[in-house]
Amino acid sequence: MSRDLDVLVVGGGSFGTALANILTGLGRRVRLWVRREELAVEINSRHTNSRYLEGLNLSPSLVATTNLEEGVRGSPAILVVVPSKAFRDTAKELGEYVTGDQIVVHATKGMENGTFMRMSEILREETCAIQIGVLSGPNLARELVAGQPAGALIASRFDAVVDAMQSLFKGGMLRTYGGRDVVGTEVGGTFKNIIALAAGVADGLGLGDNTKALLVTRGLSEMARLGVVMGADVFTFGGLAGIGDLMATCGSPLSRNHQVGERIGKGETLDAIIASMTHVAEGVPTTKAVYEFLRSQNSELPIVSAVYKLLYEKLSARQAFDQLMTIPVGGELATLRFE
Amino acid sequence: MRQEDKERIKIEVTHRVLEHFGSDPIAIEQAVFDTIYEERRRLDTEKNKKLAKAQAEFYDRVYREARRAAPDRQRELLREMVRAFAEEVTGNFDPRVYSIATGVLPSALGVLLNALSPLRLLEAAKHGSFSLDEHLQVGGEVEAVQKAAQIGTTVVVPTHLSNFDSIIIGLALYRMGLPPYTYGAGLNLFTNKLMSFFMHNVGAYKVDRRKKAAVYKDVLKTYAGCSIEMGYNNLFFPGGTRSRSGAVEKKLKLGLMGMGLDAYIHNLSTGKPKPDVFVVPATINYQLVLEAQTLIEDHLKEVGKSRYIIEDDEFSQVRKIVDFVQKLLSLESTIHIIVGKPLDVFGNEVDANGVSHDHRGRPVDRKRYVFQDGKPVHDKQRDQEYTRELSRSVVDAYVRETVLSSTHLLTHVVFGMLRERSPDHDLYRLLRTGGRDESLAVTEVYERVDRELATLRRLANEGKVRLDESLSHRDTVAIVNEALAHLASYHRKPAVVRRGDRLFHEDRNLLLYYQNRLDKLGLPGIERVS
Repeated sequence: MSRDLDVLVVGGGSFGTALANILTGLGRRVRLWVRREELAVEINSRHTNSRYLEGLNLSPSLVATTNLEEGVRGSPAILVVVPSKAFRDTAKELGEYVTGDQIVVHATKGMENGTFMRMSEILREETCAIQIGVLSGPNLARELVAGQPAGALIASRFDAVVDAMQSLFKGGMLRTYGGRDVVGTEVGGTFKNIIALAAGVADGLGLGDNTKALLVTRGLSEMARLGVVMGADVFTFGGLAGIGDLMATCGSPLSRNHQVGERIGKGETLDAIIASMTHVAEGVPTTKAVYEFLRSQNSELPIVSAVYKLLYEKLSARQAFDQLMTIPVGGELATLRFE
Repeated sequence: MRQEDKERIKIEVTHRVLEHFGSDPIAIEQAVFDTIYEERRRLDTEKNKKLAKAQAEFYDRVYREARRAAPDRQRELLREMVRAFAEEVTGNFDPRVYSIATGVLPSALGVLLNALSPLRLLEAAKHGSFSLDEHLQVGGEVEAVQKAAQIGTTVVVPTHLSNFDSIIIGLALYRMGLPPYTYGAGLNLFTNKLMSFFMHNVGAYKVDRRKKAAVYKDVLKTYAGCSIEMGYNNLFFPGGTRSRSGAVEKKLKLGLMGMGLDAYIHNLSTGKPKPDVFVVPATINYQLVLEAQTLIEDHLKEVGKSRYIIEDDEFSQVRKIVDFVQKLLSLESTIHIIVGKPLDVFGNEVDANGVSHDHRGRPVDRKRYVFQDGKPVHDKQRDQEYTRELSRSVVDAYVRETVLSSTHLLTHVVFGMLRERSPDHDLYRLLRTGGRDESLAVTEVYERVDRELATLRRLANEGKVRLDESLSHRDTVAIVNEALAHLASYHRKPAVVRRGDRLFHEDRNLLLYYQNRLDKLGLPGIERVS
């Protein structure tokens, strides 16, 4: 079988499009698979993705397709960037065509609702691929498309996966660092969306930088706590997929999760916000997934609980903050020091 | 092993082990001196003086030469030592030396087999029927395994609880109508005549666990790999040793596990007509374990470190074994051997036609996992991860194919209740003191057994675990009685015993040991209590 492409990017959302655009710009032979025919036509003829990357021009060489089979069969590497909600179905479709020599990397930030499975676990379950990895980091899509310098972590238990992704991105503005900690990378990418929501709420309430720094730092601590329980290396959270991603998401008005939080902080209801958005804010389902997972473990993390109650139990933003502030304080690193 | 293959494998093993060092003079020098060092240390404690002297002279000579040798000559000296190991493993060394060497260790197993011989095992085997029939039950994917052994080469990897396992699995494979298996057996297993029958049937090669040199271990691993490549079915215990805690193995020895993949890639590269290697998970399940007491104490020593106080424990090994075998027979206890679905070397399940399938049942072209630019290649890092994947599949299969029996259920219930009643005791304190209550009301125990039994039966229906005859069909009272009879029959102190309408826990270590089998499976809906 001839593989005449270098990589297939699966998913025409903002991040998928941005990654495909970068790779195309680097001269790689790329296909971007999108589900909707109109979007493929738009990308191929007008070189824009107006729904997800409004007002930005894409590389004229970027080619979109709706033919998944052809794309998969033609590429040694597949990069999956679809929302966590659609992830399993997409993986299942991929599973029809993927073969054992291909590497499959995802850049989706979230866990599966109900099962709390990581995306790499879903890839393993739904396809025959074993050489699997994850790409994550502070990568706001609009900045990537604008060609600004950025960094990401590519984690896999297989050196070959890391090497392949690094050589794909080599020479561009997205520096891809390598790592082995798949679990930590996935937890980091997932968890930061919850903290971004909380940080958005703080902004919406008009609170200042002290509050936000408190939220982000304690959020990082909760992230690491969850991660270590799931088998992550705690140091991962000090890197691009942990604190790095938190800084970008919590500070930037470009972050969707931050936007949702901010509007909640200003008093809008979640239903109204969701109805008005074209993008998926991963933080909303993620909060639920993480909250329920923790409950099943008879455990709790304060910020996660506060955001959950805010989103799903109609607690007001002010009340949520008040509750957070009355939790007894312990040693700062106590949450990380456990056997 | 056929004579011409013996010669071939010795050459091949020596060649490959040397190849691992390439032409790196530092690695070679290190290997030479490490081997000499480890071997000399071993010889210090070698009880067979004559053998020790001969070998010491050999290493003295190598040492003298190696100190002033050029790299090329050092490589030759390494080859000499590797070749000696390979000779020994293959079993074609001086029979005079061999008989002396094997006379050294009066092994527990040797004694065990002497005790077993009245069982007329040998006699029965000669006539093609086994009197053990009612005590040994073979089940699982027998046909699929037979088929796999025809299509390719199989590697059987059983769980390991007892020294009985070597005999039991040999017997079981024979009964399944499978071809002979090659098996790395401790030198001590070759002493006993009866054992020889089984070892012969199993096609054992010789492993000396006292040899610690890395090169020796490399020889063993390579030997296994080469024999798989040559089409010899292999058997090894991937946990490396008997389970100390009583739990089913969760961590497997990846080095040995990886030899199947290694052989597969070799076979593909050389264009073998039957390149496939299939891994067959198997479980060996007992209601009672001969060595339970010793194993769990060993486990607690290791895990609990200083917190665990060891009590003196002395009595005759011989009596223990004879006792055990008699009890097992009089209780009509059944030993279950289950073989799981064959797996490919990447952990995918393989169907009766030898086709691999992914988790969704779609066929997988397994060759592709090792192909790069159109040809099969070895890649150490990648292959290690593939082997991890395989190990995961094997461990999953262990859980599904474990056969639980009354002793596991009752001990789990009793231990769970003890823990609940003394929430302020940590595990070690509970084991020492037994906590607040020295006995439990039998009615309460029944209730809880009822509940867990219902869950277990549901899980068994879903194929998540297996239950023996009693747990599948009998009622709670009968199950508890059976468990009590077993637990009271053989061990020095019964784990739990009934007096009137109360159950007394007498030996918490044993309680922990037997309940671990169930507890550590991590079945959904079964509360973890240890």
